Amino acid sequence: MGYPYIPNTREIRGQMLREIGAANIDELFADIPPQIRLKRKLKLPPAMSELEVKRHVQSILAKNNPFTQMLSFLGGGVWPHHVPAHIRSLVQRSEFLTSYTPYQPEASQGMLQALFEYQSMIAELVGLEVANSSMYDWATALGEAALMCARVTRRQKFIVPKLISKDRLSVLRNYASGPGLEVVEVGYDRRTGQLDLEQLRAELGGDVAGVYIENPSYLGFLEKQGDEIAAAAHKTGALFVVGVNPISLGLFKAPGDYGADIVVGEGQPLGNPVSFGGPSLGIFACRAELKLIRQLPGRLIGATTTLDGKARGYCMVLQTREQHIRRERATSSICTNEALCAVAAAIYLASLGPRGLRDLAELCANNASYAIKKINTIKGLRAPIFEAPHFNEFTLNCDDTRVSIQKLNAKLLKHGIQGGKPLRTEFPELGETALLCTTELHSRKDIDRLIDALTEVLGGRR
Amino acid sequence: MKAGNYAVPEGLHYSREHEWVKLEGKLARVGITDYAQSKLGDVVYVELPEIGKQVKQVTEQKTKEMEIGAVESIKAVSAIYSPLSGAVKEINAALQERPELINTSSYNEGWICVLEPSALEAELKQLMDAKGYAEYVKKL
Repeated sequence: MGYPYIPNTREIRGQMLREIGAANIDELFADIPPQIRLKRKLKLPPAMSELEVKRHVQSILAKNNPFTQMLSFLGGGVWPHHVPAHIRSLVQRSEFLTSYTPYQPEASQGMLQALFEYQSMIAELVGLEVANSSMYDWATALGEAALMCARVTRRQKFIVPKLISKDRLSVLRNYASGPGLEVVEVGYDRRTGQLDLEQLRAELGGDVAGVYIENPSYLGFLEKQGDEIAAAAHKTGALFVVGVNPISLGLFKAPGDYGADIVVGEGQPLGNPVSFGGPSLGIFACRAELKLIRQLPGRLIGATTTLDGKARGYCMVLQTREQHIRRERATSSICTNEALCAVAAAIYLASLGPRGLRDLAELCANNASYAIKKINTIKGLRAPIFEAPHFNEFTLNCDDTRVSIQKLNAKLLKHGIQGGKPLRTEFPELGETALLCTTELHSRKDIDRLIDALTEVLGGRR
Repeated sequence: MKAGNYAVPEGLHYSREHEWVKLEGKLARVGITDYAQSKLGDVVYVELPEIGKQVKQVTEQKTKEMEIGAVESIKAVSAIYSPLSGAVKEINAALQERPELINTSSYNEGWICVLEPSALEAELKQLMDAKGYAEYVKKL
């Protein structure tokens, strides 16, 4: 003891115990069975001073090789992009930083307006009319989309492509397990990666709530059969759900324009940094149809005019869907949002504008094309493994080199380069394959550096 | 009949959860009472049951099998419990576009659904008549 700023003194603890009628702290924990109690001290080093802790933690952090300090080709669900300085400066303003839960419209107009702008821009970007004010991340947005499909159609089966991130699939299965939703995987064409339409049609029936695809797919290629998949789903009364990397929509058709009823995605690349464990930003949008909106998860911000018609005002709407009113009958298991990340995304999109987003998407895609072209000049390497247009990510296969991806990456690391994400555990059937990502952060020189390193690592054979 | 300011029409059967039952041959039309709509305030959305759903008569221990939907007012959501066991034969689709019918016409145009009761005779004994319900409401 002896720290005046720690109010929980021995004396106060004694008072609290007397108040609740416990003789000592052990009596308070009497309900915890003795067999699960730890009967020794925790194995902790002696206490350290603040300065010692700081030095200790810094020495641990110094062992990291952050991708910001090396050339990295990692993507696979979050993607590194330049975050302009004004975004951080604006979202760090206390007006945004501290007004996280805008339940009181009379005190939160600024935050509510920013979130409304976010919703409006996301809706426009994905080609649908309604977007909520965000979910945790892509994976949880997908989980909620599956549950929404089940609520709307009162059916219990959800179809996904086999080529999706196993992490995302695992979160989806977790969400589906409670209400007993069956998640069915549909295969792909080995040459093009495109969804197997015949298998899809065979799976579709009166019991399917929704069909999900990703564009671009987890492995970077475009699914070109959006129209056909939408038609097949709608024919049987199922909803069509599309997952996106929003940056790609600067270049590609909006899912709403090829029949999507619900769009989910990862909003991190919109002005939010890449960091281990998040925060991420789940995009969630749907068509403006009452039966869909009623079942939409998450917060929704609405705009209206004041009684005198002179000013615009914002507030949370359709709150009766949510947990703070509907309790255990709530439409979703989210009762919050990623407000600050959504505000960053809104500022980012507003800063870029449609033209800027298009330029950015083109740059990312062109870099990937350049890298693909160069990689294919190296003997034994093949990129991509699927014949289809790609966005900013692509697969690299090294089956013909007698070197594993793991070994290749270890050698690249010695050149100060983080290679692609190994796909062996997720998709053993794809052989020695990695997923590489390029964005505007990669210059031609950076890509040439990767090519030179790969060539050298593989024995200089071109 | 009246219970304070609330209308309690004769000839209907009433549950403690404020639903009414109107017998129509072998079928039973169901809705919520004037007292219930008044306590809820402006109804903005009505969640209707699925046609064909098998429901159970409401008891003290409420379960999902007893629900025939929910009514939402601006700040609250209440489940609607079935006053009888049976199958849902018909729903009042007009409520999807005009939920306010619950407020303006709770005993007529604001009906919720029509049930095909499976144990009508025994279960009617659990319900109150207009007089009984009027007295019940006065005590609340």
